Amino acid sequence: MVPRVLPIRYAGRAGALFKLALKTGLFTLLTLGFYRFWARTRLRRYYWSAIRPGGIPLEYVGDPIEKLLGFLVAVVFMAFYIGVVNLILMYFSFALFQGNGIAYVLSFLGLAPIIFFAQYRARRYILARTRWRGIRFGLEPGAGGYVWRSIVHYVVAILSVGLSWPLTTLWLEKYRVNRTYYGDLQFVQGGKRTLLFGAMRHIYYALGLSAVAGGMLALSENPAWAALFLLTVPWAIYGWAYWRAESFKRMTETKELGEIRFRTKPRPGRIIGIYLLGGLVLNLVLYGVLILAVVLVILALGGTGGFDFDPEQIAQLGTAATPAFVAIYFLGFVMIGAATQALFTLPMTRHFAEVTQVIDPSALNRIQQRDRDEFAEAEGFADALDVGAAI
Amino acid sequence: MSSDVENTRETTRESYDGFADYVAGKRAVLARVGLTVSGVGLVVHLPDGRQEIWPWDDLRALKDQADREGVVIYRSGAQLARLFVADAALANAIKTRATALARRTRPVPLAKLAGWATAAVASVAVIIFVLVPLMASQLAEFLPAEGEKALGDATLEQIRVALDETGLGSGVNTCQTPQGRAALDEIYARIAPEIDLPYPVEIHVFDHELVNAFALPGGHVVLFRGLIDTAQTPDEVAAVLAHEIGHVVHRDPTRDALRSAGSLGVLGLLFGDFAGGTVALMLANQLVNASYSQAAETRADEFAHGVLEAANVTPSALGSFFKRMQDENGDVEGFAAHLSSHPQFAKRIAAAASAADRAHQYDPVLSKAQWRGLQRICGGSSHDVSGDEGDMSESAPVDNPRPNRSERPARNQEGKVK
Ligand SMILES: [Zn+2]
Repeated sequence: MVPRVLPIRYAGRAGALFKLALKTGLFTLLTLGFYRFWARTRLRRYYWSAIRPGGIPLEYVGDPIEKLLGFLVAVVFMAFYIGVVNLILMYFSFALFQGNGIAYVLSFLGLAPIIFFAQYRARRYILARTRWRGIRFGLEPGAGGYVWRSIVHYVVAILSVGLSWPLTTLWLEKYRVNRTYYGDLQFVQGGKRTLLFGAMRHIYYALGLSAVAGGMLALSENPAWAALFLLTVPWAIYGWAYWRAESFKRMTETKELGEIRFRTKPRPGRIIGIYLLGGLVLNLVLYGVLILAVVLVILALGGTGGFDFDPEQIAQLGTAATPAFVAIYFLGFVMIGAATQALFTLPMTRHFAEVTQVIDPSALNRIQQRDRDEFAEAEGFADALDVGAAI
Repeated sequence: MSSDVENTRETTRESYDGFADYVAGKRAVLARVGLTVSGVGLVVHLPDGRQEIWPWDDLRALKDQADREGVVIYRSGAQLARLFVADAALANAIKTRATALARRTRPVPLAKLAGWATAAVASVAVIIFVLVPLMASQLAEFLPAEGEKALGDATLEQIRVALDETGLGSGVNTCQTPQGRAALDEIYARIAPEIDLPYPVEIHVFDHELVNAFALPGGHVVLFRGLIDTAQTPDEVAAVLAHEIGHVVHRDPTRDALRSAGSLGVLGLLFGDFAGGTVALMLANQLVNASYSQAAETRADEFAHGVLEAANVTPSALGSFFKRMQDENGDVEGFAAHLSSHPQFAKRIAAAASAADRAHQYDPVLSKAQWRGLQRICGGSSHDVSGDEGDMSESAPVDNPRPNRSERPARNQEGKVK
């Protein structure tokens, strides 16, 4: 029997998302950050519903009030930790090391366990609040194991100067995916340890070449080596895009959900294209707005009695305009945030969604619903630490 | 109701108004169902021949969906079943009839929210106002002098850059003319000859118009050019300097730095990172500070009265300087007045006046020539200087240095000598 292939369609539109992100961003600003739970939820609803495997959208059922409540719960416990730990770390960094830099490193180390903990809990909350075809996803409890494994793997990656990053990525992905459910069916992340090293190869090539070219340049001063050295920069950029695409492909195609499999073919060129085009548009708009603002200021000055640059008058004007500048600064911040979503995040999800397919030998129909996973703290810890999902 | 169902079945079995995908939420099975728009509700014709009526008032739609043409429907009573209506015309027909599509299905747990909100506020308040100040106070006693010095050096540099208005990032200029430095050294030698500190007191003058002065950990004391411009006599500068040295001696800046490390982290937790989040944080931290440091101010004032009296300089100079600042910032009302320790000024002025012995003849701290040198420490002949000939009239128009910056030293603003 030939398995059914469910392509993933993508329904998101940059314009609509930009409007939504701008609106919710402004509300967040006006409410001193209070609206952020609603903003995050609304954006997730949009992103989730844009992804339509077999034409049926994903559904995000998270509730902003549940998120707010979870945040309050997290604050009760985290305020103590953050306040006291920050203070003690600051004390020790100056008492023992006389320097601020160490304080940051130390406070990160102090926070690392709780950050990994929060990330796992946030993922569990998000999966528990995601449905497709009316069936819930889920993640088994396991934040404790995730914390120490993450720390060990990150230490290994740092000790190897990042060269073993593919192994770190795969290990942590296995821990998460092997605890992920769709309905009553458990995901399995397959793949040998060496699975992802090939996906990193263009970064290794670029690094190797830059080492050789840099070394030869130091020895011989031949400009050809300098040219070769410069060439490694675009190669490294390609290497990064290749890693994004190829590691996604390798990990997705070794995922199993019962008899269900996945096929995907993301393109590194497309990823680079998205960032180039998005960056270009963002810069054009930013400079356009800046030029417009300058023109308006000049016109306003002209309107108040010509260009006599009386310093006192300018100072007065400056004082009067300060609230306007503050407003413009924050508006700009919100605008850039919304534009980043519309120009980068959305096109990237679109690309990865559209190149992916679900291969279903009619096993899907047998999957049963799973129970609701209640959360006292929702993803409060991640919200409090600001380390949750990107969206 | 049941007759209704029968009726609909009779008339619409063959001619549906449209189709939709239906999931019951029990298995991941998709069913194609026919839909009929009726007076009471949406009639769903299930594949097994049964039909359900979904009353219009019970219908809810998923919000913020990417697909703007279709609609995803569920019933307020049944949280799992979904109808995916792709056809735009049918979706519109549903939207016009179902009036409660956007209504919440689950009640808001108000009592629970209020309970946890109270607990969160209480926990933050206890930590910021009790635990962190207490710990900061204790730890400041134990911080080694080198640590304090490093902390102060780092902070001084940050503040210099933050105050830079040229935007070049090189930091605000430090004033260094030899006569000016000599005058400052003279003042310091007179008012603080035998202070026992693990590090020397370093006095900096920032070329900045704010009427301000503050102390940093590790013995740094910073005067702003605006303050020297505003002072009518060298005694007033000496008094402010003595006050700041009082902070240094009591290690207030160290305590303050440790405390803000703790409380800023907690406040960041509360506000999240909306639009950078910095302004709300700074504002909140300023509130925390204003209510905290009054005891420290009184202590520093008392220290200043003591050393001034011992140096035979009138302690009332501190009061007369505060008085001038009060006159200049007199229009500060409401919110801003709360941020500065404004109401405290009257008390502090009175305390300075009573510390001075009316019958006693005090010496000025500098000669007229030295005072002129101090007034020109930033090299500027451009700034009108006054008080040369003991002229106490307001001949120097201090353009109101209403500060409007929000960097770290914000708590010292509104002319508040910290
Ligand atoms: Zn003070």
